[in-house]
Amino acid sequence: MAQLSIRSVSKSYGAVQVLDDVSVEVEEGSFVVLLGPSGCGKSTLLHAIAGLNPIDSGTIVIGDRNVTKLPARDRDVAMVFQSYALYPTMTVAQNIAFPLKMRGLDRRTSDEKVAGVARLLQIEPLMSRLPRELSGGQRQRVAIGRALVRDPRLFLFDEPLSNLDAALRTELRAEIKRLHQSIRRTMVYVTHDQTEALTLADKIVVLKAGKIEQTGTPLSLYDDPDNAFVAGFIGTPRMNFLKATVADDGKALLAGEARVDITHLATRLENGRAVTLGIRPEHLDEKDGVTLSLSVDVTEHLGSTSYVHGALASGESVVAERREDQPGFGETITLRFQSTRARVFDGEGSRIR
Amino acid sequence: MSTVATASDPTRHFFQPVIVCLTVASVALTLFVIWISLHDLSLMRAGREKFIGLDNYLRFLGDPRAMAALWRTVLFTTLATVIEIALGLAVVLFLDRDFAMKRLVRTLLLVPIIMTPVVVGLTWRFLFDPATGMANYLLSLVGIAQVDWLGSPRIALFAVLIADIWQWTPFVILLVMAALESAPTDPLNAARVDGAREWQVTWYVLLPMLRRALAIVALIRAIDSIKAFDLFYIMTRGGPALSTETLNYYGYIVAFTNFDISYSLAVAIILTIFTNVALLTMYSVLFPKTGDR
Repeated sequence: MAQLSIRSVSKSYGAVQVLDDVSVEVEEGSFVVLLGPSGCGKSTLLHAIAGLNPIDSGTIVIGDRNVTKLPARDRDVAMVFQSYALYPTMTVAQNIAFPLKMRGLDRRTSDEKVAGVARLLQIEPLMSRLPRELSGGQRQRVAIGRALVRDPRLFLFDEPLSNLDAALRTELRAEIKRLHQSIRRTMVYVTHDQTEALTLADKIVVLKAGKIEQTGTPLSLYDDPDNAFVAGFIGTPRMNFLKATVADDGKALLAGEARVDITHLATRLENGRAVTLGIRPEHLDEKDGVTLSLSVDVTEHLGSTSYVHGALASGESVVAERREDQPGFGETITLRFQSTRARVFDGEGSRIR
Repeated sequence: MSTVATASDPTRHFFQPVIVCLTVASVALTLFVIWISLHDLSLMRAGREKFIGLDNYLRFLGDPRAMAALWRTVLFTTLATVIEIALGLAVVLFLDRDFAMKRLVRTLLLVPIIMTPVVVGLTWRFLFDPATGMANYLLSLVGIAQVDWLGSPRIALFAVLIADIWQWTPFVILLVMAALESAPTDPLNAARVDGAREWQVTWYVLLPMLRRALAIVALIRAIDSIKAFDLFYIMTRGGPALSTETLNYYGYIVAFTNFDISYSLAVAIILTIFTNVALLTMYSVLFPKTGDR
């Protein structure tokens, strides 16, 4: 049974539909990431789960309780905020103890639990400090501690790493992952950062303009996107999208260039139909396959690999990974890819399989 | 600390003379006032004053009218500050939601602050008129007997207090409202998720965050209340039977009715010392050094 069920939830602010018939099932103990660009409704959805935001219609069930009408305090969830949201006038110890105090726990049990959490997160030396005397990373650790101390059914994370610098973000990301593996609690995590989503999630829900675009494991979203939005949103650098026309032999004819064999698709495409081919940069560095020639603008060296930015003869810009050599500005290089790597989308961006 | 001017900083030629002038002016004036308060200068006996040491200060201690005025000042300041802060905070917490006329309400709140004390005093004098005033009319509607607001020595001070509260609570509201709006809302939501009821969110999280703003507003209101003069002058002139004579007002009477300049300056200095001690105590309570909450 699912630990959290979101069923047909809708919400609008005035004329703006922020959530449009969203349904998500979250299995017990899993790590689900709500991923999308800013303004896609992911934070609104998380606040709705927490009970901080009333919804217009739909049902939210946590465990076996319908919590749709319950206030936040009765939902037994814990939340970590992007802004840390520590209580500025309380010390770290008081911050972590606050949820226990609100539940009327006696002082001794509370102290023990707080000490346990402090040990787990290695924030023991900070316990008597005030939040503003801490660095961003320490604050977020305290905020995670405050969520942990209650041992709730459900953890909610609202972009918890967005205010941190890159190095800390990587470190804390790994820590959250470790935490999830050790306590095995259900976690729902909101982010716009697809790296976070790919590394943390058991299941990713991609949202755009209040609607779910696709739900699936990180790998399935990466390999088998349902539409051009998901294909473009997941993966860095972005997937390349090339305009093509279906030729009379069923192959796709790229603008003025190569023919790509897409006859393996289940769908028969009629002659002359306009489609878009999506090819990831890392699939453009093969030994053989369809060839494209790219005139190079910029090469980014990342140490183990390089990314080449340039334009095809058709003028379409392309990013390609390059493992062997690092071509410079103005050079023309040959890209090769397997036609089975190409993902085909129709004019509306829906995937053709 | 790079903003502290060093000896080589040429901008010091601009601000140092200003500091020197201000220091000389305030120190010289204070010393001059103290010097006069040690004499028996009176306009009734001009030219015959002599040095009398601390006699004026000893006279103050043995002056029942002065001591009563001091007590009244303490009472008025405490009540005005506490009631205005409590009432203002209550209104702010009540207004802390989005409603259609919010901007209008906020503008209306400015009206009592902008009005000159003379107009406020006169208006309240009319309202408190025992025969024709609105206050007694309203009381009569609920069946309460007439009150001689400004004519009864037991009530007059509280009548002035009501006018002061009417005029200055909006000031508290505006400042606390600004503090509330700049306070982060995420900790409030965090508290709700952590299991706090609304009153607990307010008590444990919101009020401590507003503490600084409240303390500053309380200090400003306390200082203003100690110095209050205009409302008393317009509404009661210290009467009836001296029942609304504060120390500030008494100093004015001594100087400009009795022309006893030296004694009035001694009263002023005692009021200043008293105010400073009281406010420093208040300040150290409201802004404790340790923890700096």
